[in-house]
Amino acid sequence: MTYAGPVGVVLGIETSCDETAAAVVDENYHVIASRIESSIDEHRDFGGVVPELAGRAHVTHLPGVVAGALADAGLDPHRPAIDAIAVTSGPGLVGSLVVGLSAAKAYALAWEVPVVGVNHLEGHLFAPLLEHPDLAWPVVTLLVSGGHTALVVVRGPGRYEVLGETIDDAAGEAYDKVARWLGLGYPGGPVIDALAATGDPTALRLPASMVGPGFDFSFSGLKTAVVRARGVTEMAPADVAASFQEAANEQLVRKLRGALEVYPAAGVALAGGVAANSGLRARVRQLADEFGVALHLPSALMCTDNAAMIAAAGRYRLVHDGASDPTLAPRPNWSLQELA
Amino acid sequence: MNVLVIETATSACAVALATRDEDPVTVVLDEDRRHTEVLVEGVASLLAAAGLRAHDLDRVVVDRGPGLFTGLRVGVATANALAQAVGCELVAVSSLELLARGAHARGARGTLVSCVDARRGEVFVQTYRLGDDDVRAIGEPEVVHPRSLAIEWATNGAPVTFTGDGVARYLADLGAVPQGVIVDQVVPPPAWGVALAATRESVEAVRPLYLRDADAVANFTTRDGPTAT
Ligand SMILES: [Zn+2]
Repeated sequence: MTYAGPVGVVLGIETSCDETAAAVVDENYHVIASRIESSIDEHRDFGGVVPELAGRAHVTHLPGVVAGALADAGLDPHRPAIDAIAVTSGPGLVGSLVVGLSAAKAYALAWEVPVVGVNHLEGHLFAPLLEHPDLAWPVVTLLVSGGHTALVVVRGPGRYEVLGETIDDAAGEAYDKVARWLGLGYPGGPVIDALAATGDPTALRLPASMVGPGFDFSFSGLKTAVVRARGVTEMAPADVAASFQEAANEQLVRKLRGALEVYPAAGVALAGGVAANSGLRARVRQLADEFGVALHLPSALMCTDNAAMIAAAGRYRLVHDGASDPTLAPRPNWSLQELA
Repeated sequence: MNVLVIETATSACAVALATRDEDPVTVVLDEDRRHTEVLVEGVASLLAAAGLRAHDLDRVVVDRGPGLFTGLRVGVATANALAQAVGCELVAVSSLELLARGAHARGARGTLVSCVDARRGEVFVQTYRLGDDDVRAIGEPEVVHPRSLAIEWATNGAPVTFTGDGVARYLADLGAVPQGVIVDQVVPPPAWGVALAATRESVEAVRPLYLRDADAVANFTTRDGPTAT
């Protein structure tokens, strides 16, 4: 597939949750600059992202993040040679989305370039393309983060079939809840992953029925099963973490395997914050070997919410759908299904 | 000098543009909290009508509050980005001071209390002394219950003028102050930002004046919180 269009260099802006990010990406999906500032430390005590604090942090961080990305890209801060601005307009926290949207429109007015609103989840689906620009489609992508869980067949940019989503908690949310229950702090993903490395994944028997129907996912039952398991309070936290992680990954990999069995794919990809989980990465690597498909594991930087993926998706949307209306508004519940 | 003022502290969204030292033109873009949708488009139209481009701006002025949090973020993020993008001056003013200036221009004198609706049964207030030629703040901006404010002034007995959308919202309380007078203003008038900003230092970036912690900081129910990335 080719995407040759009139759009060259794009500035991406992302403020949907707790990362304030800006990036410059060129027409070959090459990341020229990418800056991310997180407000995660401000949320730690609350065990989750506090929307009002996130919104405040975006206002504080955004000018510096954008200036930094332009400087890294060697662009003039007042007349940068960019062709468009892509900005996350949903899904996400409305009080955070408005910060990026407002700034993006102001930059676009000042620099006389079009602005395009991007679906954050579609941004995640573009992440593999940024690290493997020559990848072959279709790719079965498992998008797993603190806010989202989706299994998607990506036939090419803009061509998505959403096979399943979570029917309750997101995968990352389950990690956070179990970590909180274990008194391990926030965010739960990295701390459980680290602890699980030294634990026994067979220590705690968790019911295998705690999964969603078809290609859908369910994680709330799993968390409850951990908390209510007999003898769990006497068990070493490392064993609990390892057992939970094993069960969570088992469900994710089972659905991914099911998709690869049914849908012919050239590759398999992970996306989103939970894609950093070492256990999940190891199992998806095995799966790719077993099915003989290309493996697209995102780098740590690409798992995180970033603006390079927003710039990439925005470039595609601009070429195919044109610029957004000047009245572009936040869409806090914008689903991937609406794009597919 | 070309000066743009951005006003988003209340339910309304307004802009003012002063070009080449002429009197500022004010446009109220919306009165129903659609700040994100209308603000930049409104600025673009105002500039176009004046035959200007964004790079012709010499100064961007923004009302940093106090006011409604999301609206303030829209206004401040827009002002920060615009001034940064064109490399012009950036100046912050206060919603309560704009209201005091507006009331003064309409002939109010003596003691004035600017009141901006803070939601959840409270108002942001600041007291001013309005002379014939000057407007002076007395004390700091604060968050109060309109009823306590009314009782305080009724007890005090001194003549007082109230103004702002907080008065409209709590007319039952503030209108009952026997010696009180009301100047009907809902939107902090952005045109006064032009004159006010001329006396202030330009800053690198503005931060909203919230005057209230994120209530989640006090009582966050972790179950409802979405999590990172
Ligand atoms: Zn994300």
